[in-house]
This record gives sequence, C-alpha cells and structure tokens, in this order.
Amino acid sequence: MKREQKIAIAILIIGFIAITIYWFSNTKKPIPKLDTEKIILPKYNSSIYQNVPEVKEYIDDIKRLLSQGKSVLPLNSSELDSNAKVAQKILLQNQEFLSDTRSNNGKLEHNDIMTIRPAIISAMSKETQKICKNITCYQATKYNFVTNTTTRAIVDVDNKKVLQIDRYRDKQPDISQRLKKIAQAIALYSPEVKEVLGGTPKLKDMSMANVRSSVNNSPCENKNHLCVAPTFSYHDKEKALWAVIDLTDMKLAIAKWAGLGKTTTPSCIAERTLQNRLIMQKYCQQNNHYESMGWKFDYRITGSDGLEIINAYFKNKEVIKSAKIVDWHVAYRGLGDVDTSTESIVAGRRIEYVKGKNSDFYFGYNDAMGCPMFSTSVVLSFNAPQIKDIVKNNKKIGFYITQDFRNPKWPMACNYRYENRFEFYKDGSFRVVGVNKGRGCGDNAVYRPVMRIDVFNGDEEFYKYQNGSWQKWLVENRDFQYKAKEYYQDKYLYKIVSKKRGYYIEPNRGQFKDNSRGDNATLFATLFKESEGAEDLLTLGSCCKLDEDGVEQFMSQNETIDKKDIVLWYVPRIKNDSRKGDEYCWADTVIENGNLVIKIYPCIVGAKFVPIGDK
Amino acid sequence: MKRYFSIILSIFIVLVSFLVVYNIKNRTTSNTKKIKKTNNIGSFQKTSTCIRFPYFLSKLRVPQPIAIDLSQQHYKGLAFLFGRGFNRAVHKKSWERFDYFGGYALDRSGNMYLTPMPFISIKPYTFNLQKNIYKLNSKTGKLDIWLTIDKVKTTSNNPFGITAIVYDCDNNTLWVSSIDKSDYFHSKGTIYHIDIASKKILQKLKGIDALSLQLIQTTKGKYLLAGLAKDNTLIALEIKNNKLLSNPIKLFSLPNKEEHIRKINIVAKNHLKIQTIPFSYSLIAQTIQEASIRKNYNIIWDNNKWRFNK
Repeated sequence: MKREQKIAIAILIIGFIAITIYWFSNTKKPIPKLDTEKIILPKYNSSIYQNVPEVKEYIDDIKRLLSQGKSVLPLNSSELDSNAKVAQKILLQNQEFLSDTRSNNGKLEHNDIMTIRPAIISAMSKETQKICKNITCYQATKYNFVTNTTTRAIVDVDNKKVLQIDRYRDKQPDISQRLKKIAQAIALYSPEVKEVLGGTPKLKDMSMANVRSSVNNSPCENKNHLCVAPTFSYHDKEKALWAVIDLTDMKLAIAKWAGLGKTTTPSCIAERTLQNRLIMQKYCQQNNHYESMGWKFDYRITGSDGLEIINAYFKNKEVIKSAKIVDWHVAYRGLGDVDTSTESIVAGRRIEYVKGKNSDFYFGYNDAMGCPMFSTSVVLSFNAPQIKDIVKNNKKIGFYITQDFRNPKWPMACNYRYENRFEFYKDGSFRVVGVNKGRGCGDNAVYRPVMRIDVFNGDEEFYKYQNGSWQKWLVENRDFQYKAKEYYQDKYLYKIVSKKRGYYIEPNRGQFKDNSRGDNATLFATLFKESEGAEDLLTLGSCCKLDEDGVEQFMSQNETIDKKDIVLWYVPRIKNDSRKGDEYCWADTVIENGNLVIKIYPCIVGAKFVPIGDK
Repeated sequence: MKRYFSIILSIFIVLVSFLVVYNIKNRTTSNTKKIKKTNNIGSFQKTSTCIRFPYFLSKLRVPQPIAIDLSQQHYKGLAFLFGRGFNRAVHKKSWERFDYFGGYALDRSGNMYLTPMPFISIKPYTFNLQKNIYKLNSKTGKLDIWLTIDKVKTTSNNPFGITAIVYDCDNNTLWVSSIDKSDYFHSKGTIYHIDIASKKILQKLKGIDALSLQLIQTTKGKYLLAGLAKDNTLIALEIKNNKLLSNPIKLFSLPNKEEHIRKINIVAKNHLKIQTIPFSYSLIAQTIQEASIRKNYNIIWDNNKWRFNK
C-alpha cells in the first residue's frame, strides 16, 4: 500500500472517530435570548420620594384639604381657562359629583380633579349632545384614589348646571399636569433610574408618551393604583428607559431599559409582567451566588418550595446543603357539622375539611410558594430576592436574604403574604425564618410553615437536651417544643454535629426581639432521601389534622440516622390574632390622610443555628 | 496530483459526513419550531360540521340549545346546561372521578373526547390524569379513559399535559396537543394526529405548544390553527394528504403579550372569533375569580390583512 493511501485511511478513521464523538457529545443548546431588555426593580424604601419637593407640596396640600373637611383637590388655575374655572367651581359644590368622596363610615377619601376641558361629543349622551349644541359645555374628570373610580361630568358653563355624571369603577383617567410633573420628578429623583442611566437624567430626555390618554387599566401590579410610565429616550443609543411610577403610593414601581423598537412599545409595560419575566429568567431558571462576611452560598426560587439556599459555606466549611420552607399549612376551626359532599373553593384554593374531636371541624388548605410561571404554587414570588444588612448597635453583625410571596389580591380576606428569610451572622450562626403577614379568612387560624433544613453532608449525629444531658437520637424521630422542660444554657434544645463541627439549635421563644410569640414547633429528624424533599415537593400532608404535620410519612420506617445524612424538619405553630392592639399574623387596610394604607402585623418564626465550635 | 487523489477524497468524505451528521443532530435537538413569516392562508368561510351532541341527552329529553360547561365553577368535571338561561343541568357524580377538563371535541356519532386540566391545587394523582384523553360514550353517557399517551409527563414545574383537541370530520381522527416538558425558554409540546377507530397515533409534530386548536379549510388548502401557549400568537400548519406540514405559518399576534388564545371559532366568512386568557403554565387559581381576564376578539381577514375588533 502506498504512503498516500495509508494517510487517506488514517484521515478517514480519525475523521469518523471525531464524527462519532461529536454525535454522542452532549452539545449544550444555547438558551434562546427572549428579550434584550433590562428590568430594574426598586431597591430603596418608597419613603425617599417624600423628600421630592413636588411630592411634599402635593401631600401637604392634601393634608390641608382634609383638615378643612374637604377631599377633592382642585386643579391649579394655571391648568384652567376661564370657562374651566367656572366649571370647577360648580362641580365642587355639586352634591352628586361629590357623592363618592367619603367612605361608608364617613371617612374622607382622597380625590383629584384631573382635567377640565371643552366637552367632546363622544363623552356626551344624546340628550346632553342636544343641549350642548348651542351652549358652552365643559367636561371634567375626577379620580378617587381609594376606590379607583373615575367620575366624568359634563357642565353647562353658560347656565351653571351639571348636565351629566358618569362613574367608571376600576378605571383611571388622563392625569393632571401637576401629577405629570410629580411623576417626572419621581422618575428624575429615583436612585435606581440614576444608577441605570449613569447619572442624573435630564428633563429634556423625558417624554410622557405612555401617560394614559383615556380611561384605562393600570400598568402597576396593583391594578387599583394610578400609574403612569414616563420615558427617557436616547435616540443616539437607540434605547429608552421606561419607568412605571405609582402615583397612589408616590414611588417608582419598576423600570425597563430597552431598545426603541416596535416590540418594546410602552403599551407592553406592566409591572407584574416585567417582574415575572425577571424572576423567571434570573431566579427560577438558574442559581445565583452570594458571598459576604465569610459566608458563600447559592440561592434560587423553586417551583413550589419557596426560596431555597443551597451549598452554603462558612469560612470554606460546608454548613447548609439545602434550606427552604416547603409549605404553609393553614387551618381554621369551625363549629357544628359540615357538608363535604361537594368541593368548596375559597380565594382560588380547594378547602379541606377535617372532623374535630368534639362537635367542631377544621378547614383550610396547604399553600405552596414558588415561581410566578411554570409552577403549581398559588402564592407567588413578588419582586426579586433582596439582601439586606442585620445591624445591632449601629454595627453590621450579619445579613439576610429574603423573598416576598403573595396572593395577587393580598391583603383582601383569604389572601396571604409570606416572607422566606434566611439570616446569616458573622459568627457562623444562621436562622431560617418564616414570616406571615396575614391576612387570612378569620381570627382563629393556625399557621404551620414546614421548614426543611439539611445541614452538613453526612456522618451526622442528632441530640436533644433533656434531664441535664444531651441524648442522641439513633433512629428517625420527632419532638414537640412545648413539652421541653429545660434548655441547655437556657437557649438550646437540640444540636446536630458532623465530624468535628456542630450546631446548637435555639428554638424561638420570643427572645429574638422581633415581637414573636414563639415557635411552639415540632422538630423531625429523618434520614436523607432524594425523593423526600431534595427536589420540589408537592404540598405535604393535611392542612388541618393538627396532630400531624405531614412530615410523619418520611419517618414511617424508623430508619437509623446515627452517623448518617440527617434532614431536619422544623414546623412552628402560630395562632393568629386580630384583637385591636394585639394583632399578630394579620393585615388591615385603613384610610389615612385620605388614602388607603396597609397595616401589617407580621408573625416571625424560626430557630437559630449557633455553631458549637471545634470539638 | 493523481498521487494525492486518495487523500483529497478522504478529506472530502469526512467533511461531507460531518455536515450530514451536524445537520441531523441539530434538527433532532432543536425542539422549538421556527415560524414562517407569512400570514396569508387564503380566505375561508364557516362550513357545516358533521358533529352531533351525545345521543343519551336526547334519550333524557334534554332540549336544545345545550351548553357544555367545563368552567368547573358549579360542576366538577363536566356538565350539560340547558333550559331558560341554562339554569338546568345534566351532571353525573361519576363524571367527577377524573377531576377537571379543559377542552372537548364531539365526533359524528356524538361521542365526546375530553382533555384534562390541572386546576386550583395539585393532588398526588393529578399528574397521572394529564396524560389521558377521556371519552364520554354517546349512547350510555359513561365517562372513561379513552387513550393514555405515556410519553406525556407533567411535573410541579409544568403541570399541564394534554391540552387542546379538535375532531376532523374528513377522516374520523382527532388532533390533540400536549404542552408537557416545556419550560420558560423552550416549547417542547407535541401535536398528535390520532385515528379514532384504531386509536393509532398517525403523526406527531414536536416543538409546538398549542393551547387551542381548530381546523380550517381555505382557498389555499386545509390548515390546523393553533393558539400558542407561550405567547399571543395564532399560527397555521398546513395539512396535505392528511399529514401536517412542519413549517408553522404565523397569522397574527394579539396586541397584549399576556393574552394567549384558548378558543378559536370560525363564525362567518373570513371571520374568526377568539378568546384569550393570561396563561403562564401555572395553576389558574390566581386569576380564576375574574371573568374579565377572558377577552374576546373578532378577527377579520380583509384585503390580505388581519383586522382586530374587541
């Protein structure tokens, strides 16, 4: 065989081997780029906007008005021609026009006159059209910020008569010049906007293209809020920043930095949609990494197990394999008999009924928390995870990562808001915290968050402190905190150790100074199994069998846990309270200074894990 | 030159083989179908249909008009509403045993084929129900599993399996969609063409997440219309010789990205009526209470353009 033929055969063999390897190789498919836009969520407390002069002046005007027993803020004369001034005067004395400016219990509700201009034919009834043919008619719009209602009136200016009044519930009007300026001022002041634009934006770059031009829906997540979206256009960069401004709460709701293309027209802007997109892309589809104060860990939002911390290390030693709150069990007590022959559904949940021991019953549901899309949860993530400092005596002693989960209609009855919080301290301690912000269906609720905490990575031992010493658990078991008679160093009830390291577990008895009334928890120690919560769990057990927490199914075989990989399940038990002054796990909406304000009375639970130190 | 012919030939063979393998591999792994950008499938009109209502309803002397209620608001599973204001109902307790239904198709004998739907909350058996097509027998009114497609696998990250269904009067077959396995970035749904008599799957077309399906005969041919679950788009797939061609044609997108088409009806000449919901592959509990989330559009094919009227 000639040398060239040998080379050809070698090329063929090597070539086909390479092709075979290529065929079986796992070529990673690139993730399609869905959008080139950048979404900016608010990072700062909304109270900062009260420093904006335009906002401050506006709030002061409302307070002054309310102190005079009035609630309709009139338009400044600079926004009115002479006929409009007459029309405004007539309307501010018209009982029918003002009939929706007080709540049922007589509280004044904040209203603004938004526009007064010559009446257009499409706003008039046929009868009004006939009248207005030969006289001067003006139309005015008023917006009630509490009831989210727009009122439109047609006024016969010549004869000083109100001809027509129409009310549009859940609709928002074209806003006044004053509110436009306030929206612009908020957008210009916003630190988030400044950060994205790399400096203070200029008014000349701003357009108000997306300010509503007719009665319409809100682009805000809260559909009852009056929102607008001023735009900063940078034609040289072919980009624009759209900022959604909430004029009910006077704050930046969300912003989007995107191309000036057809696909990103302002009409696409909606706070909830943008939030969902960001949460899905950044927190549900990938892990995120964070490092601070000796800690490093990954985190993500799961489909139905809330925010999850994974692979947490302190000073390069593994501490947490996984920590998450998989469910909130919600149970209410009822009296008498109940018909369970047909399903009942409340606020989007199927109700489960469990007969009690006496002539009572318990009813409720299990709430799963998770991603806003591709999920089986009903309590959805709002905003992105946030990381904040823990400060004591003006010194940073740690930090926490938190995620807000809400029913979209919270704080309406039977809608809930939960916070999953993980606290990390500079001494290596950590705490898994569940926060319930109500509001629930009634004042006799029992809430039970199911926390799954998997520390270390095998070769673990678990102990309970009793009779003055640490007793090791050899098999899967559970324990009730309320039965504990003694705590080690008056703090710790359990400890878990692995090799030369360990953590004391300090159940919450109200000592963390967060107004908590204690955990009253049940603790389970079970053997790690992939199928028992390492991946997303569906809701666990019954909401309403108060003698079970749902975790019992994982310890049915009483398997040995000594020197094994142990999973801890910590299930606090909280009773809500709606008594005035003693509210707990509760939320209420009240009118303050003419506007709706949500009052939150959180209940905070969770045990602290404190390092034992090298043994 | 002749001396090096064998080397050049071997290099050529390796290169050609690589190109062939590269193409096949990328065709296999790319699940999401590329959508062709043309929106003209010709003009169309409402045609008479071969389907009929279940025979057992006539035996029960239920008068027309009859409405099929899958809303799950008053009856679990399935109910037939009739009477003044549809205030009377035929509903059997046994129709509740497969939980909730999302879509249906009637055939020419009055049998009803139903697709499952996860609703409100998940039970341990919910995922298993999502891979079945159910049949309500025209004569007996008995509801049973008609066909199980084992490849349909739902999870807590996407609880939806078999979703849309439409009956084809031309050949006594069903067109069915499943949207399981899809995630935020990829559409991994499948459209199945199933022969009713043999229960045989005649064709599978992967890479399309169809939330709704409808057959349409136009001046250009026969098409399967599909409202996409991922966004606000209506596409058409041409059917030639009873086979679905794999290149989807985009007909139009609705103005709001969040409105996904859940129902498509041909109501008159060149006139479609569609209904939308804000679908996000999650349980509909969050939005179910508001009827306003369902929006209706009249869409007219006029002068080679689609015109929208709300």
